[in-house]
Amino acid sequence: MAKQSQGKSLARWLISGPPQLYLLVFFVIPCLIMVLAAFRSPGDYGGLAPLHDADGKLDLSFDNFARLGEDIIYVRIFIKSLLYALITTIVCLLMAYPLATLIAKSSKKYRDFLLLLVILPFWSNFLIRVYAWMIILGPQSALSKAVNAVLGLFGAEPVSLLFSGFAVIVCLVYVHLPFMVLPLYANLEKHDPALLDAAQDLGANGWQRFWRVTFPLSLPGVFAGAALVFIPALGIFAVSDILGGTSGIMIGNVIKQQLLETRDWPFGSVLSICLTAAALLAAGLAAWVARQRREVHA
Amino acid sequence: MPKSMSKRTLLWAIAAAVYAFLYVPLLIVIVYSFNDSRLNAEWVGFTFDWYVKLFHHDEMIEAAGNSLGIALVTSVCSTVLGTMAGFAMHKYKSKVLQILVLTPIAIPEILTGVSLLLFFVMLNMSLGLVSITLAHIAFCIGFVAIVVRSRLAGMDESLTEAARDCGATPWKAFRLVTLPLIMPGVIAGALMAFTLSIDDFVITFFTAGANASTLPLQIYSMVKIAVTPEVNAVSTLLMGLTLLLIVIASKLSPSALRS
Amino acid sequence: MTMKKLLAAALSLFAVTTAQAADEFHLYNWNNYLADETILRFQDYCKCKLVQTNYADNEEMLAKLAAGAAGYDMIVPTGNALEPLIKQDFLKPLDRAQLPNLKNMNPAYLNTEFDKGNKYSVPYAYTITMLGYNDARMKELGITVDSWAVIFDPAILAKIKGKVTVLDSANELMGAALRYKGYSANDTDEKHWAEAKDVIMKAKPYWAAFNGTSYIKELTVGNIWVAHGYSNDIYQANVDAQAAKRPFHILHGMPKEGAVLALDNMVIPKSAPRPDLALKFMNFMMDGKNASDLTNMMGSGNPNLEAAKYIKPEIIKNGAIFPDKAGMGKLEMLRDLDSKKRRLRTKIWTEIKAS
Repeated sequence: MAKQSQGKSLARWLISGPPQLYLLVFFVIPCLIMVLAAFRSPGDYGGLAPLHDADGKLDLSFDNFARLGEDIIYVRIFIKSLLYALITTIVCLLMAYPLATLIAKSSKKYRDFLLLLVILPFWSNFLIRVYAWMIILGPQSALSKAVNAVLGLFGAEPVSLLFSGFAVIVCLVYVHLPFMVLPLYANLEKHDPALLDAAQDLGANGWQRFWRVTFPLSLPGVFAGAALVFIPALGIFAVSDILGGTSGIMIGNVIKQQLLETRDWPFGSVLSICLTAAALLAAGLAAWVARQRREVHA
Repeated sequence: MPKSMSKRTLLWAIAAAVYAFLYVPLLIVIVYSFNDSRLNAEWVGFTFDWYVKLFHHDEMIEAAGNSLGIALVTSVCSTVLGTMAGFAMHKYKSKVLQILVLTPIAIPEILTGVSLLLFFVMLNMSLGLVSITLAHIAFCIGFVAIVVRSRLAGMDESLTEAARDCGATPWKAFRLVTLPLIMPGVIAGALMAFTLSIDDFVITFFTAGANASTLPLQIYSMVKIAVTPEVNAVSTLLMGLTLLLIVIASKLSPSALRS
Repeated sequence: MTMKKLLAAALSLFAVTTAQAADEFHLYNWNNYLADETILRFQDYCKCKLVQTNYADNEEMLAKLAAGAAGYDMIVPTGNALEPLIKQDFLKPLDRAQLPNLKNMNPAYLNTEFDKGNKYSVPYAYTITMLGYNDARMKELGITVDSWAVIFDPAILAKIKGKVTVLDSANELMGAALRYKGYSANDTDEKHWAEAKDVIMKAKPYWAAFNGTSYIKELTVGNIWVAHGYSNDIYQANVDAQAAKRPFHILHGMPKEGAVLALDNMVIPKSAPRPDLALKFMNFMMDGKNASDLTNMMGSGNPNLEAAKYIKPEIIKNGAIFPDKAGMGKLEMLRDLDSKKRRLRTKIWTEIKAS
């Protein structure tokens, strides 16, 4: 008995040990350096002020956190980023679900090929793809002209598709789509068709079969995909930089500004901590909701 | 019968639309790599010049090679570690591991980049391809772990239990029963890790040294002046090369990719 | 099995690329800021290999150096980025004995506020931030582009709504707004900053985007008619527009209220592995012919008097690239701000961008 439980905890250490150790060394410890920076003062010319000030005392304080409360603007931008990330996640889900279903249902011959087809575009460079979107959404493109022609029919003013919130969302969805497709596919692939057949035999129609059998079973995949889209989308800055127009700023841009232009590492660190905490909170909330649903349906 | 067929067509139609969404920008990238215009803002004429230029552009080729190498190593290492993490998260419900794995994804890349740079400098480690790879593995583990875990959730445990009952050791049960069952999740995770690594800019920027350059770094620095079609050319070639590698790999070990 | 093969291939790739050559000169420079011919000539001259890494922004370079990145023999920061480097004691003082070509330099660009006596730096090239415009369109609308009003005055902007971009840089845009209001670009009075912010907010609705990178492309294609940009970029845009046979030119518009001069300098960090090669390169680049390569390639300003002999005449005559004495009087170099002011400026910038 003892040996078995010893073997079990050995197994546990062998399996969870290496990734934990790796992340501890190459992630936790480096981040602690910057987390500590949130309590320090910014250096005059950039970076961080020395840990001990002129009197030899430890120069730590909550000043940087207090600055968050000073100004509503950071909260506003943060909420906007949350909104954009949420919209991106939902649109990704709506687009990825049919695609993942199709791939999962395909015969083995085509499945790998279709999957590869999804991810292939993302081995080209990110910037190039964003620039391609600039061409697609630019004022001279076929799409823009078509949209404005339709708007013209209704007597509305021509709009610029580029340099707008629309362009940012389109590109965000584009950039994150595979990270929704892959987890969904991995989940949908193992659904037993026998379950659906049984439901059909019991009199369920197509929609009912989907909503009461397929979707609940796919929830872990949905949540995995949502996490892998929502969380990175929250902190991204490159897309809004290039396509965002004049009001495109998101929280990721603000953090970049603080760390680079203002060279205020402590405040940049504070904003990052808040962003990370919010993202983790969102993930935790989603997981909790998922558990509640499972418990209700069980 | 007709109902399910029209449903099938609807599914196909939506999927085709999504594929179109994915590929129109890509086609523009590929087509414009033959564009006879330095600024590459609109189509001027057809030329192979940029590909020719690319073959003489040592820095770009070296950067592309670095990117590919780093992505391969990162993909392998983070898949192994991530699968272990996903498995542990599922089996032992380890809260610590969950947070540990999710945080690198949540934290803004700039912060991770600066932190890792400070860390490597503290350790007096020389910056280069190794430091970049170590950094990439750190943030890719999470992606793999989450996908593997979601695949394991709802997997039929009875198969593994049956294997154990038949006398298989835990490792054998894992290798011969669980692993094949979660393989699509592992492959999905590996693909994601590869994609993330090959295109990463921010973290790579901070952890690269004076000697190492990757393709995203090379391209980003061109942004200020002009992103010439040469960049489209190298992107197209890199995509083609990666596709080739995957096809070769799948031919050599057909069992790996089959779910 | 295949995994092992792939791993082996990747590792050997590592081995090959990390093997280092003996005599290497590591230059950390802006992209496209050194002509290929110059590189070849230098490699011949010093019998060494020139390895360039690039950055697109002073701030990124500063962040990396502040975090401790090393291994660079030479960096090319702009004046206001040079200040923090000097103040943080990152740079090696220059050994004048090794720089005989210093005599070729135009004294107007030496002895600047941020490095008096040129202890640490030597000028490399400069650009002036001004307006680039589509001459055909502006003629149609009857707008003369000789003042910052073109991008700040709503009366003029109404005619070109959605066809204007401005630089995505707090320093540059605030600098332009301050000059428009008659103050110095380096003015740190908070009241003046509030006025500048006001000017920007009033003009913002007419602008298409804050863009520091692809505006050359947009100008050349004709999507944008006026751009707040750098003189060498505007020169490039015109060259490309002519090459694409467009029915217009992209011309330089030097605002009469004055503009910002960005002087890029060569410096040697203290952690440089080969400072001797760096000094060699510095002296090499101060030779007239070598200095002229960059200007001929991209229309950047040249602080080297000897280089004038080798520069294409149409570039020398361009008053926007080589301003005369009167023009020089209206130009200012941006200074770095202290941390309090930087904070305030970023706050203002965030507010501008978020509204």
